[in-house]
Amino acid sequence: MTKKRQILFSVIRGLLAILIALLVATLLIFLSADGGSFGAKLSATGDALKQLLVGPLFRMGRSGAAFDFKRLTDILASMIPIIFTGLSVCVMFSANQFNLGAEGGIMLGAFTTGMVAVYVPMAAFLHPVVGVLVGGLAVAAIMLLPALLKTKLDVSEMVCSLMLNYIIMYLIKYLMNTYLADKTKGQIQSYEFLETSKIAPLIDNGSKLSWGFVVAIACVVLIGLFMFNTRWGYTIRMIGINQAFAKYSGMKVATVIVLSQVLGGFLAGIGGGIEMLGRYPTFSWSSLPGYGWTGITIAILAGNNPWFVPFASFFMAYLTKGCELMATYANVPSQLIDIIQGVIFLFFAAEQFLSKYRQKLVVKTAQEELATKAALEAQKGGAEHA
Amino acid sequence: MPDEKTGRLDEEYVVQMKGITKVYPNGVAANQGVDFNLRRGEIHALMGENGAGKSTLMKMLFGLEQPTSGEIWVNGEKLTLSSPTVAISHGIGMVHQHFMLVPSLTVAENMVLGMAPRRGLFIDHAKAVAITKEYAEKYNLHVEPEAKVMDIPVGMKQKVEILKALVRGAKILILDEPTAVLTTQETVELFKELRHLKEQGYTIVFISHKLNEIMEITDRLTIMRGGRSMGVYNTCDVTKEEISRLMVGRDVILNVQKDKAQPTDVVLRVRDVEYVNEWHKKMLDKISFDVRRGEILGIAGVEGNGQKELVDMLFGFLTPNAGTVTMQSENILGLSQQKLRDKGVALIPEDRMLYGIAGSASIEENLISDRSAEKRLNRGPLFNMKAIHDEADKLIEDYAVLCKSRKQQVGMLSGGNIQKVVVAREFSGNPLLILADQPTRGIDVGATEFIRKKLVELSRSGIAVLLISADLAEVMELSDSLIVMHGGKIAAYFEDTSTLTDDVMGEYMLGLKAQSEEEIRRVCHD
Repeated sequence: MTKKRQILFSVIRGLLAILIALLVATLLIFLSADGGSFGAKLSATGDALKQLLVGPLFRMGRSGAAFDFKRLTDILASMIPIIFTGLSVCVMFSANQFNLGAEGGIMLGAFTTGMVAVYVPMAAFLHPVVGVLVGGLAVAAIMLLPALLKTKLDVSEMVCSLMLNYIIMYLIKYLMNTYLADKTKGQIQSYEFLETSKIAPLIDNGSKLSWGFVVAIACVVLIGLFMFNTRWGYTIRMIGINQAFAKYSGMKVATVIVLSQVLGGFLAGIGGGIEMLGRYPTFSWSSLPGYGWTGITIAILAGNNPWFVPFASFFMAYLTKGCELMATYANVPSQLIDIIQGVIFLFFAAEQFLSKYRQKLVVKTAQEELATKAALEAQKGGAEHA
Repeated sequence: MPDEKTGRLDEEYVVQMKGITKVYPNGVAANQGVDFNLRRGEIHALMGENGAGKSTLMKMLFGLEQPTSGEIWVNGEKLTLSSPTVAISHGIGMVHQHFMLVPSLTVAENMVLGMAPRRGLFIDHAKAVAITKEYAEKYNLHVEPEAKVMDIPVGMKQKVEILKALVRGAKILILDEPTAVLTTQETVELFKELRHLKEQGYTIVFISHKLNEIMEITDRLTIMRGGRSMGVYNTCDVTKEEISRLMVGRDVILNVQKDKAQPTDVVLRVRDVEYVNEWHKKMLDKISFDVRRGEILGIAGVEGNGQKELVDMLFGFLTPNAGTVTMQSENILGLSQQKLRDKGVALIPEDRMLYGIAGSASIEENLISDRSAEKRLNRGPLFNMKAIHDEADKLIEDYAVLCKSRKQQVGMLSGGNIQKVVVAREFSGNPLLILADQPTRGIDVGATEFIRKKLVELSRSGIAVLLISADLAEVMELSDSLIVMHGGKIAAYFEDTSTLTDDVMGEYMLGLKAQSEEEIRRVCHD
């Protein structure tokens, strides 16, 4: 297939997967909608869908929908943590390492950075930078665990990192409950972050869109370059495609497998730190935040390509916002987002989805190529005769 | 006899494939409007370069693949062969190049797999053995019913495969490169058996690259090129040269020209190497030899006689139990592949799809895999993209890799072009020692010739080459001197390959003869 057709196919396939997910969502909304009659249910469904699809950017009023800048900034703000987890998963999956530790990673990063923000006084500019870096390094260090177990003892990194998420979560909960909580407050939370540690908002409209967003985009560029324009990223990708080939070619396979997971951990860690200092006044997470799981969806939507992560993140953030609005204004359970995600996921991951259409495109391209070749040869033959 | 359903005369042809076109999901048009037919009771050769579409055509006849368009008629009946089961039920059997046997089961158990005679809940072993014996007798294919498949020689495995097809009622047998793994003597035996089957009315399709064998055994032949049929011929009406011209569209020099080797100092020195595998089988037994600059040392032998273990050991994938291996007097045992490459060892791996390439990566990415960290390809932390593009373009040109661009996926290329990518990388990294393991296996004549010429050229420029090949013609033609391996030992050493004959080689390869220790020790140039 030509490159153009390949891209066209991917786009059509992606859009169709999303469309099918929305159809499933519509059906579920209809089933759970209020109203006694069919008509009432239908109109409730219509309202809910409007919130889901248009609501994230437009405020619905009597006079129609009006663009709402605040809502856009809300979406951009909620992209911050998932851009980081998306990048993290991209790097690890590219090396064919199914490390699912981004979830625990982002929580550990948030916690560690939070503790630096509470207990280690520093100058204003320095404080968030050091705090976030410490968070990143902590997660990078903990990812050595699944990575080294994999390379030294051939322990499945998937099982190991999955379990690690819960160990991290319960350890943090234990530390919070027992030693670190501000006992004067009604819920389990840390003492307030020092004023010097906070990441400044990018736009002051109460949206939580902080400078962290700029850092996130910068990281997309850095990781994009890293994966495609450096020898280390190249090695990661080659190992991901064919590990035996990488070893035979003289690449340091074990080292790079460890590197990919440590880097993945670092990205998840700074994501957690930035999210913490840009959005919250204290550390109060008492369970896994879910950003790591979303990161996996994003990496799959982006085809493990860092350059596509911002787009996939925007899509996921938009969808999440839409579901929130639906839950608020149209009385639809917010868990629906998980179902929609699941369906999209299913169709993206399904190798055979639309494979017949793909085969048709392939046949067409091949036939065209053969025709051009034949024409060229005929021309040549003609020229010789002349 | 007119068929009642179709009213057609099918006296002459048992199989007719008409206008077969097959486009694979990766866009390769493997067959384009191919016509192919088989007469009852003939041995019919299907010839062509690798990638010409022979295997695809036969896979469709055996129901492993379905044609994109075209018709298949068997015994005058139009069929949709949706699976091998359907093909077998219509009397079509296939013996694959890579045997489809269960190594841990006995011959008899393999024979009746999936159709086993039962006694109560259990397989009736006695009956399975009886069936095997009956068929072996009837078709004159001698096998040991109670031996485990992993313990029997390759030649017998093939007989088991043929018998398996016959037991299932095959009247038409497709043999995919049946002689590729056999010794000369085993090939002679196979031909005898095939003639016997032919006399009993069986129809045989014989897929092969080897011209001599085609001339000897087949009645008619169909030649394929670039997915099209180049015509059907009576074997007695065409010459080898004509066939080769039809296959590749030009005259191929089947002999590589080379002047006499002038070997100088020893590069690789292997002494008393022993290796016992995980099943406690001694795969390498006191192996000693030297490879010198400027010569090609060949290693001949039937596959499975320690060649694979030897190569794995030389390239750091395996540690021997005893012995030493040095390169320019420095130990290289236990070194990583990276260190070995730094010392100037290059390897053309036997399994190019597993080790040689990263299939879904681009040609360019595959060409730089051993040199991505080199200074000239990097600028600070980033790749120097221009240098990399130049390097890739140069190698593609120098090694005549047929492709659309350096960005094309390497897995989409034909076998010969994939191998050219591997060879381009391995030969261009300033090697001191080249390990060429089956360098031309299963690739087209053009690429084969190109790679062989390059090997000779490099050896004459002062590089040491160790050539391991199961293709007897190849080792004998290319090597300056030659080792024969049998049962993990060196069975013979020939200082000069020009006077050797296939028969002599065959005797050493099969272990019928072995040289004395003094004769073999001549390969060590102490």
